[in-house]
Amino acid sequence: MNLSVNEGSRLKSIVNVLVLSLALWGVSKRDVNVKETTIFENIMMDTLAPLQRGVTFTHNKIASFFDHYLFNVNASKINVSLVSQVSELEKEVFNLEQIKDENKRLKDLLEFGEEVSYKKILAQIVAWDSSSDFRVIRINKGSSHGIRLQSTVITANGVVGYIYRLTEHFADILTILDPSNRVDVIVNRTRSNGILEGFAGGKCMMKYVTRTDPVRLNDLVLTSGLGNIYPKGLKVGIVSRVERESYGITQNIVVSPTVDFSKLEEVAVLVSDGNQKKMNEWQALDEADGDDDK
Amino acid sequence: MMRIRSREIVPRLFITILILIVLEVISSAFLPLFGISKYMIPFNVLIVLFLGFKLENPYLALMIVVVQYFHSIFTIEGWEMGTISGVLICIIISYLRDILHFTSSIVTILVTQMFQFIWFVILSSLLYLKLGSFNYIVEKFWRFIPESIVISLVAPFFFSVLDKVWGVREEGLMGDRN
Repeated sequence: MNLSVNEGSRLKSIVNVLVLSLALWGVSKRDVNVKETTIFENIMMDTLAPLQRGVTFTHNKIASFFDHYLFNVNASKINVSLVSQVSELEKEVFNLEQIKDENKRLKDLLEFGEEVSYKKILAQIVAWDSSSDFRVIRINKGSSHGIRLQSTVITANGVVGYIYRLTEHFADILTILDPSNRVDVIVNRTRSNGILEGFAGGKCMMKYVTRTDPVRLNDLVLTSGLGNIYPKGLKVGIVSRVERESYGITQNIVVSPTVDFSKLEEVAVLVSDGNQKKMNEWQALDEADGDDDK
Repeated sequence: MMRIRSREIVPRLFITILILIVLEVISSAFLPLFGISKYMIPFNVLIVLFLGFKLENPYLALMIVVVQYFHSIFTIEGWEMGTISGVLICIIISYLRDILHFTSSIVTILVTQMFQFIWFVILSSLLYLKLGSFNYIVEKFWRFIPESIVISLVAPFFFSVLDKVWGVREEGLMGDRN
C-alpha cells in the first residue's frame, strides 16, 4: 500500500489515538481480583507454558542429580537424627489428634457451624511472572485438574496466594507479595484485624490496625476468614517491624511471610464447592454495583 | 529509520514474536531457578524500543499491541499499560528523529537507557493511579536500575539481530562506521 507522506502521517495519528484509547479503556476496566482468559489466551498459555515447564524440569533433574548423588556424603548421619525426630513427632501427632477429637466434640456441642471441607490439589511451579512488577507464579495444574478461579494456594508453611488466571492445564497464582493482592488478617495474640498487602523486599504490609493495639515483634499473623477468598486460621507471616507514631489512629505493621518464596517448588491448591458460590456472590455484587450506577 | 511496506510486516513481526517468546521463557522460567526472581529482564521493552527507533510505519502502534499481547501471556501485567508507554515513547521518538543517530554502540546504550527511563516514568504514573502507593514506585525504581542497565548493555547486539530480521541496512553494528 503506497501512501503519501501526509496520508501516512494522518493514518498514523488515527491508529495511535485508537490504540491509546483502547489501552486506556482496558486499564480502567481491568479486574484486580481475577482474570478471565479468552480462548486464544487459553491456547497460547497451554502451548507456551510447557516450554517453561520443560526448562524447570531439566534444571530440577540436573540439580537433583547433584544434590542426591554427588553431594550425599552425610546421608547416613542425617538419617539417624531424622529417625529420632520422627518418633518424637509421632508422639506429638498422637497428642494433637486427641486435642482435635476433643475440639470437634466441643464444636458439635456448641453447634459452632459447619466447617467447609477442602480438596487439596498438589502442583509444581513452572515459572514466575516475566515482569518484576508483579509477584505471580505459574503452576502445572489447571481447570482440568479441578482447580477453580480464586482457589486458595498454600504450602505447609502458610499462605502463598490465590488463583488469579486459569487455563485447562495451567494456572497463575497472585501471591501475597503482590501489592494488588489484599488479605484480611488478624494478629494471633491480640486478635487485631487488618488488611495485608504486598510491600517491598519480599515482605508484606499490614494496614488499618488500631494504633492502641499492642502488636509486638514476632507476633504470628493469620487469615481472618473475611474477604471471601482465604479460609480462616491459615498462617500468613510473622511481625517483623511495627511503625507506630504518637499521633494518628492506625499503625503500619511489616510482616515477613512464613513461606520462603525464593525456595518454593510445590504448592497445594485448596478447592471447595464454595469457590463457585464465592464467584456467584462476586458477580451478584458487581451486577448490583452496575445497577446502582444506572 | 526505515520505511517498511505494510505487507512485509507480518512475517517479520512473526519472527520477532518468536524471539520474544524464547526470551520470555528464559526470563520467567530459567532465571528464577537460580534464585533471580526479584529482577526480570523486560525484553518486550527492548523490542518496542527497536520498533520505535528503527521503523517508520503508520501501523507501528498495532505492532506494539501485538508485542505487548504476547508479553501478557507470560505476565498478569496485561497488554494495556505497556502499550500506552510504548505508543507514547514512539510519538516522542518521532519528534526527536532528526537528532537520534546510532553512530556507535555507546550511543545506542545511552539512548536506550534514556528511553527506558521515560518508559519507567509513564508506567510508574499509571501504576500509581491504580495502586496509590508511592512506596511501591520507589521500590520499583531500585529494581528498574539494574534491569534497565542490563537491557541497555544488550541493546547493541540485540538491535543488530533485529536489524537482520527487519532488513534494516546500516553501516556496521548499530551504525558503527568501521
